[in-house]
Amino acid sequence: MNEEQKQKYKQKYDQAKQNGVKFWPDIIYKDLLVSFAFFILLIGLAAFVGVAIEPKADPSDSTYVPRPEWYFLFLFEFLKFVPGKIEWMGTFVLPVIGVLVLFALPFLDRNPLRHWKNRLTGVSIMGVVVLGMVGLTIRSVITTPKNEEGFVANTPAGKMILGGELYGIYCVECHGPDGEGGVIAGVEGMEGVELKPISSRDEMYTRSDETLGAIIEYGQQDLGMPPFGLAYGGELKKSELDAMVFFMRYTWDDRAELPADAASAGAIPNLAENEIPSYEVHISKIIQRYCISCHRPGKENNNYLMGTYQEILTTGDNAANNLLAGDMTSYLIQAINGESIFDESGEEIIQQMPPTKLMKEEYISIFENWVLNGMPETAADAEVLTVEVTAEE
Amino acid sequence: MAENVFSWLDERLGLKAIYDTILDRKVPKVNWWFTLGSASLFLGIMQGITGMLLSVYYVPTPDHAYDSITFIMTGVQFGWLIRGIHHWGASLLILTAFIHMLRVFFYGAYKYPREFTWITGVGLLISALGMGFTGYLLPWNQRSYWATTVGSEIAGTVPWVGDFILRTLRGGTNLSALTLSRFFSLHIWIFPAIILATVGTHLYLVIRLGISHIPDKDS
Ligand code: HEC
Ligand code: HEC
Ligand code: HEM
Repeated sequence: MNEEQKQKYKQKYDQAKQNGVKFWPDIIYKDLLVSFAFFILLIGLAAFVGVAIEPKADPSDSTYVPRPEWYFLFLFEFLKFVPGKIEWMGTFVLPVIGVLVLFALPFLDRNPLRHWKNRLTGVSIMGVVVLGMVGLTIRSVITTPKNEEGFVANTPAGKMILGGELYGIYCVECHGPDGEGGVIAGVEGMEGVELKPISSRDEMYTRSDETLGAIIEYGQQDLGMPPFGLAYGGELKKSELDAMVFFMRYTWDDRAELPADAASAGAIPNLAENEIPSYEVHISKIIQRYCISCHRPGKENNNYLMGTYQEILTTGDNAANNLLAGDMTSYLIQAINGESIFDESGEEIIQQMPPTKLMKEEYISIFENWVLNGMPETAADAEVLTVEVTAEE
Repeated sequence: MAENVFSWLDERLGLKAIYDTILDRKVPKVNWWFTLGSASLFLGIMQGITGMLLSVYYVPTPDHAYDSITFIMTGVQFGWLIRGIHHWGASLLILTAFIHMLRVFFYGAYKYPREFTWITGVGLLISALGMGFTGYLLPWNQRSYWATTVGSEIAGTVPWVGDFILRTLRGGTNLSALTLSRFFSLHIWIFPAIILATVGTHLYLVIRLGISHIPDKDS
């Protein structure tokens, strides 16, 4: 701009000021109003949308689809259109040019006019760029696959539940439901191997959380303990290992104390007086701790899977005899009472269940009670039965 | 009494002069779009306050960062609110500053005599993006870990010096405790210092030059 144009602008501006308003209070009140609206919006977002819970960083889990903050998505998406060979053009040259142009805009645009109608070129370029950015952002949101929203345990209760479940699935077959160890029976390839307890004071007082985590992640392969961490060919993520260690620590270490509500989370519920057990409330929890470790796909178990209510009733080489409503000679009932089942030729087809050590009397009688009452699935089913029984009395 | 206190203070601090130059001045009539700069300022201040509160409990190490955030969310009174505001405020600030920039562009307010205001503005926008990038890693969750991995890889593609930048950002070849402490120090010291100085200049210029008027058709 030359001096004359500057002078002209100043005159116009002074004129506008003359016809204008006072900064205080006219402008300030608008500013405060808008800021206050933003404040309410923020509190609303924090209270009603919150911050999504994510699992802890896990360098071994490279299946995770990276997702930058939304305001970088356009750049990210843009890079997909840049061929690999000249990637640096997209990652470096263009962004740097973009920023420099933005910085230098007042010097590149020498047009003294300000109304948008007199700056059509500039305004349209900016318009196209902004629309492009919005478009790329939307495209990126649509095309990036969602990450599996696994259950993220980050409360003590959540960790106890998840850790207990995982322990029940992956560890019980060798280490037993309470980490007691002993001589392994009924596990392919480990038959007769003797394990020391992992729930003892010795173990808990001498193994830190990091050590326990590392043992589960890497295994003790020379001794027969398989690796479970993703990094070593297992299937467990860091957050899952953490939950398991948390569960072990707070279940077995007599120095660790958990708030009462978290301690009871995931525990097998007691049977109230006159209550009829159901699959949903009681049996599934017992199975999770005592049976699922061997009775899942890929294990030696006479094809008897115990993952769902349906499976328990219908799978297994002896499906026809495993669970018979009201019948105490059901194979399952016999097996958990320590009796082996033999076929006609006198050969043992099912050993006691669990093979290493029978369950507590309490859990065995819950199973019996359940079978006697026709194996109700849900708490509601069991409730109906309870009412009938009390009515008959 | 109040009058006496005021005049005592005024005599020493020059409150009246501040009032005259900043508050009691004429400005052109403008519209609601002109509130977005002060809204950015408000959001920036909120980020500062909530950030300071978060730093009371946050621990910038890979072993404890995640758990300290979990503790803030579940164990600290109103921790969820503080973190929620900081989380959403970051996005809102960038959005608001960007739209503020678009309004400045649209009205040609970056032209004489406000060129330098514009330049400091661009500096602010970039620093805000830097705050977003470094802050994103701090919770040390899957999202932050992998976003930062990819983000710093991008810096690694710069010709010749890419590898150097990548290592400097990460403090090694991989993301580690060093990366986290570098990002933390950028996020709570370096960028805020830059932003403070730049916002100061920006506001000084806005007050010194006065807010622009809405251009008419033949200007
Ligand atoms: C295939 C059988 C098997 C499975 C499944 C298994 N372990 Fe082990 N584990 C072993 C063997 C064998 C050892 C060696 C120690 C021993 O001989 O007593 C061991 C040792 C351990 C130790 C003690 C190491 C030490 O030196 O203190 C811990 C703790 C442990 N396992 C935890 C687990 C956890 C948790 C799981 C479930 C994710 C699991 N294990 C699953 C077989 C197994
Ligand atoms: C250590 C592994 C292990 C555990 C734990 C275990 N089982 Fe088994 N289960 C087996 C194996 C192996 C078989 C196959 C028959 C055999 O070898 O005795 C089997 C077979 C069975 C069968 C017969 C299935 C059929 O159709 O032939 C029943 C019923 C059974 N188990 C019930 C249970 C119950 C109930 C529990 C939990 C309280 C349990 N098992 C826990 C290993 C296990
Ligand atoms: C953290 C970010 C920012 C803050 C806190 C901020 C603050 C402010 C404030 C309070 C004003 C007064 C007028 C108004 O509210 O519209 C203003 C004006 C201005 N801002 Fe910003 N701003 C920011 C970012 C930017 C950006 C990104 C740009 C452009 C690249 C920019 C360029 C300008 C210009 C040129 C003016 C003068 C406009 C006029 O007089 O009409 N600012 N800024």
